[in-house]
Amino acid sequence: MSSGEGERIAVLQGTLDLIVLRTLQTMGPQHAYAIATRLQQVSEDLLHLNQGTLYPALVRLEQQGRIKGSWRKTETNRDAKFYAITKAGEKALAEETLRWRRMSGLVEKLLSEGA
Amino acid sequence: MRRFWARFHNVFDGGRAEWELAREVESHLALLQETFERRGLTPEEARLAARREYGSIEQAKELHRDTRSFPWAEQLRKDLRYGWRSLLRTPGFTAIALFALALGIGANLAIFSVVSAVLLNPLAYKNADNLVTVLHHGTGPVSPANYIDWRDQNRSFEALGAAEFWSPNLVNNDPPEHLLGLHVTQNLFPMLGIHPLLGRWFAVGEDRKGAEHEVILSYSLWARRFGSDPKILGKPMDLNGEEYTIVGVMPREFKFAPFWATGSELWAPLAFGDRIEERSGNSLRIFGRLKPGVSLAQARAEMAIITARLEKRFPGTNREIVVTPLKENVVGNIETPLLLVLGAVGFVLLIACANVAHMLLARTGDRKREIAVRAALGASRGRITRQLFTENLLLAGGGAAAGLLLAFLGTKALIAASPVYIPRVETVAIDGRAILFLIGITALTVILFGLAPAIRAAAGNLSGSLKEGGRAGSDSMRRNRLRTFLVISEFALTFVLLVGAGLMIRSFFALQSINPGFDPHHVLSMIVSVAGSKEADAGRREIFYRQLIDHVRALPGVQNASGINHLPLAGDLWTMSFAIEGRPKPRPGEAPEAVYRIVMPGYFETMRLPIVRGRAIGDRDDSRAQGVVVINEQAAVSYWPGKNPIGERIAMDGIGRLTVVGIAKNAAEEDWAAKPAPEIYLSALQSRDFLGDGGAHMAYITLVARTSGDPAQLSSALKQTVWSFDRNLPISDVLTMEDAIANKNAEPRFEMFLLGVFAGIALILAAVGIYGVMAYSVSRRTKEIGIRISLGAARAEVLRMVLWQGVTQSLIGSAMGAAAAFLLANLMEKVLYGVRPTDTVTFLSVGAILSAAALLAAYLPARKATRIDPMMALRNE
Repeated sequence: MSSGEGERIAVLQGTLDLIVLRTLQTMGPQHAYAIATRLQQVSEDLLHLNQGTLYPALVRLEQQGRIKGSWRKTETNRDAKFYAITKAGEKALAEETLRWRRMSGLVEKLLSEGA
Repeated sequence: MRRFWARFHNVFDGGRAEWELAREVESHLALLQETFERRGLTPEEARLAARREYGSIEQAKELHRDTRSFPWAEQLRKDLRYGWRSLLRTPGFTAIALFALALGIGANLAIFSVVSAVLLNPLAYKNADNLVTVLHHGTGPVSPANYIDWRDQNRSFEALGAAEFWSPNLVNNDPPEHLLGLHVTQNLFPMLGIHPLLGRWFAVGEDRKGAEHEVILSYSLWARRFGSDPKILGKPMDLNGEEYTIVGVMPREFKFAPFWATGSELWAPLAFGDRIEERSGNSLRIFGRLKPGVSLAQARAEMAIITARLEKRFPGTNREIVVTPLKENVVGNIETPLLLVLGAVGFVLLIACANVAHMLLARTGDRKREIAVRAALGASRGRITRQLFTENLLLAGGGAAAGLLLAFLGTKALIAASPVYIPRVETVAIDGRAILFLIGITALTVILFGLAPAIRAAAGNLSGSLKEGGRAGSDSMRRNRLRTFLVISEFALTFVLLVGAGLMIRSFFALQSINPGFDPHHVLSMIVSVAGSKEADAGRREIFYRQLIDHVRALPGVQNASGINHLPLAGDLWTMSFAIEGRPKPRPGEAPEAVYRIVMPGYFETMRLPIVRGRAIGDRDDSRAQGVVVINEQAAVSYWPGKNPIGERIAMDGIGRLTVVGIAKNAAEEDWAAKPAPEIYLSALQSRDFLGDGGAHMAYITLVARTSGDPAQLSSALKQTVWSFDRNLPISDVLTMEDAIANKNAEPRFEMFLLGVFAGIALILAAVGIYGVMAYSVSRRTKEIGIRISLGAARAEVLRMVLWQGVTQSLIGSAMGAAAAFLLANLMEKVLYGVRPTDTVTFLSVGAILSAAALLAAYLPARKATRIDPMMALRNE
């Protein structure tokens, strides 16, 4: 992952899966390029990732059964592998979101109290 | 967990995943490019921009691979594929290495599976490890009264059973057949714990006199003579003219007894009757099962007390009674030869490993540049070692697979070729234990031949290799030392093997040169049984035997014929004690003893067994004449030292007084190489037992005929002669005397053959090894030799230099091998005859053979060295 790129932030370990799942949940089935583009848009280019580094997350999620990939045509009539969130993925997303919220709330609390 | 399986799956199905990935990356790039094109870039600019945006494709792929499966497995897969390709690139090397490994591994697996089945597996009885034998000197028979006393007095055995040899004639059933069987006490089969396939064991009380006419059949007899009749139980069987009822059939695998009377095919109850008081006639083999918790040592201690007590009451009857594990009696004789052969094939494998290691070293030499390039591209030293080692693993795996096939065929061939019955050999199979062994030796093999070369190769100097362009005029000293070490150890190992084979050959020739005392050529023998026939009657038997021999003598091609009770080397061995008249009565158990044989007139002439003094037994030595005996030289020396025994009288229990009328030359008795023992010959015409007055236990005669041509050709004429008297007479053991001797020597010959074959393979491998090393060394030193020649070195000098290198290695190896063989020598002692295990002739000859092989192997490369053209050599480098 790229770091030291000025103000851009690196993806926190373990959060990429969560972000990908959330993206697929809100946008429906997407190919890797679209996911990467979407991440950059949402983060207003603050979040930067080499697009290739998305693959490990996709492979992992697919092997865990949280997303499912299939080959389809894009609007421009190109072959691309589209990933869709599965039921198990939805469930995992809900759990992970809850966990993340608790975690970030805790961190936030600690940080503000310490200030 | 689910992910684990997905990754696991991808280890093996990496190709598909890789293809999908490539496709996905490509489509990703295309989409990126499209975006850039939409922003107004030319297609080419857009393509480059997409590439930049995407980042390193290879890195992305690598990440993908690491995530989708296990990195190490992915690497292994890659290494295997790479190794496979590089092995295919050098088919010659691969074929030779595979051949050597397959030979080594296959031979080891084959011999191991024999060792495993014969020595390691328990006997095929219930809890066979608790079964023991109780016998005189561990192997000799026991008398009924002693057996009964032991059975009743001991507390160590759950059961103590007895078996006695029995060979009834199956009559009134065409063709008549002489069967081998056993009389067994009722408790014996339950003790073994093997249930009959059909029917039952003998019931309690069936071993009482009068109730003993029941019989249990072996599977083979049931199949052969009764067509596997499922309703056989309760049917009658005519044995020796008496009717027996068939009460059981044993399963196919069942064999009893396992070490003596192994060919037994039927069992009947052993009824002692009057013999229950018999303490001197030893005919029983005693089998026992230790009680749970009783050790062998405890049982031995108790038996020692019991026999000591009995010996006091009945002197001379209970000496040296030994309790032995049954298995030891079964496999004791074959253990040393088998382990010896296993050791020999172990050596062959070591030599094969050394050879393959050589070739690998030579190969890595040629691959230096390839390895250097890989190192330059970032492969770590460990990574390269692993890669090369994987390649070796592939080789070993291939060798193991081929070895498995070889062992499978090899064990079959081995068993078929074996001229001796190796006990339990029919149970040999490539089983789980053999497969474990295969995996074990394959792992060992790959470590032995592959580890050092792989480490050595990866440890090369990177920049040096690249600069030298892989040709390396200066081969590293360390690698040379390793190679030299390998050649020397090959020679040392081969030396040991050749010494083993050489000793066996010398021992075999020593056995061949033994003189049996008689002339064994052109002699045919066969056993004719009269039990149950009309010829068996006391009055008729003598006439029948005389007429039979006369008829045989009259056959064309027969020079002479006679009869004996037990043929030397092939028949049974009976001994008896006797008293010499005019001497004080010996203490019990210390009376003179001798092997006794009962012979028809003309036996000595037929066998050409010389009478050195006095006369032979003749036609007139019949029941009306005085009892006579011919003794052998050994009996004369042992019992009449310094005196003339002719005219002396002896007395034998149940036979009476006999006068010594002749001394015969010592003749072979039972074991081919045994020292001569005292032996006496009685006249058959004076033997009531032999002629049918003494019961059925001696109702047979061994016919011997001396022929002018090939004795085997006369066997059918002889059989027809017998059957012209009575078609119902069983004939068995048709054998030429030469075959009888060959059978006795079959085991040493087979051991010699096996050791010889393995030593030969070892010699070839070692010669190939030294040839390879010398050829390689010459090709490495082309430049140096070229310079020497251009500076005026004579070609003969070059030849000598290269040869000398080969011969020194073989000499050092031989010296080490001689030392090792010397240390291992006493292992061979047991299987050798007439030659010491440190035999100088053998050691020197082996040294000479090895040096010759080394010279020959070094000569070809040396000659090549002398033909080096200095100009070419210098230009090439």
